[in-house]
Amino acid sequence: MERGKRLAIMIETAFMAALSFILGFLEFGGPWLAGGSISFIMVPIFLMAFRRGWKAGLATGFLAGMLQLLQGATIVHPVQLVLEYPIAYTVLGFAAIFTTHAVFRERIPYLLMLIGIVFGALLRYIDHFVSGVIWFGSYAPEGTPVVVYSALYNASYLIPQTIITVIILFVIAKYRPKFFDQPKWK
Amino acid sequence: MFENVIIGQYLPGRSFLHHMDPRAKIAAVLFLIIVIFLVNSWNGYALFGAVAIAIYFLSGVPFRYIRKGMFPVFILVILTFFLHAFFTREGDILFSVGMFSFYEEGIRQGLFISLRLLLLVYFTSLLTLTTSPIDLTDALEQMFSPLERFKFPAYDVAMMMSIAIRFIPTLLQETEKIIKAQTARGADFNKGSMRDRMQAFVSLLVPLFVRAFRRAEDLAYAMEARGYNGGEGRTKLRLLVWGWRDTLCCVLIAAFGVVLLFLRQ
Repeated sequence: MERGKRLAIMIETAFMAALSFILGFLEFGGPWLAGGSISFIMVPIFLMAFRRGWKAGLATGFLAGMLQLLQGATIVHPVQLVLEYPIAYTVLGFAAIFTTHAVFRERIPYLLMLIGIVFGALLRYIDHFVSGVIWFGSYAPEGTPVVVYSALYNASYLIPQTIITVIILFVIAKYRPKFFDQPKWK
Repeated sequence: MFENVIIGQYLPGRSFLHHMDPRAKIAAVLFLIIVIFLVNSWNGYALFGAVAIAIYFLSGVPFRYIRKGMFPVFILVILTFFLHAFFTREGDILFSVGMFSFYEEGIRQGLFISLRLLLLVYFTSLLTLTTSPIDLTDALEQMFSPLERFKFPAYDVAMMMSIAIRFIPTLLQETEKIIKAQTARGADFNKGSMRDRMQAFVSLLVPLFVRAFRRAEDLAYAMEARGYNGGEGRTKLRLLVWGWRDTLCCVLIAAFGVVLLFLRQ
């Protein structure tokens, strides 16, 4: 019984990671970024985290990051390789540490979801920020305000992306609360 | 919407690099992207460049694919080059344009850093161009398997990874189908107000998730019914074989690293 459930979670994790990879190509053009793009890459990871708990969320994020890496990533620094691909997505899974399935059974805890998503996104932001400082710092001449660049650049796409992700997840939660209800393994 | 989607960069082929064991390739690339940070002289970069060209001939990958892979970093390369050229004020003045003077040291630094960036991206894209994602997954599984002792589920991760890679094309087709179906019903993903577009995307995502979860459940049942129980003692369809090429390559790359150390200034 327990084994069956574990297998089911593993397969769902694989599918959500694959979906995250696919949704990375779907771009939501917005007025806030000249030429920038916002994708739904984080939606399946958060969905999986809320549905199956933070461990499954971490696994989904890790897989999603590794998929990006294996499919041919842009690598400019060894530290950036580790920070920007596997870790940046893995930390999103921590979004679910504020909620439990019992909470979702009763009603959809929008506030806890919001806190979770913002927390996950913040961890990802910190990760990208540090990675940016490290690798760009190793390329830019001394005296370049690398910290400011990294902070601004990463905020410029992560903030809108987080807002879109929150809206999409709230709408999904409202119309399809079943997604978050831990399904029983029959 | 998906015109530009190419899943993976892998180009099948029969070259020396294609025949190498993915473990050897990953190890070599990791080694190269670390030692490149040791290079700080013209001689070092010249040698690195020569090795890069030699590896290019061993790979049998047409140049246009490599150029395509390197394109995204081009802007970055140009940007970093000019940052150095403008802001480094050491050495002799080479020439001046209007109020800007270009110093020898700045140009040198700019060229070094640009070369480093290009070489890094070159080696990593050659890896993904000559190795299929499945081979990479198998190799990573073996390379991480010592971590099983510390409860890192290398085997499970590799299994999930293979399933994800296997189902990306299927799910992509499904996504296209749903996009077409919802477009036929009047959803517009590219135009309209934020609210309308958001609604259009929800009408895509919800059925997509429903189908993905259903497919996942079916697959889990199917695997369970066939007695899948993972981990220990499972045999593999594709086996990685470490050959003379791989040993030779690892030895050469290590020797190359030692030579680079001597070329440091």
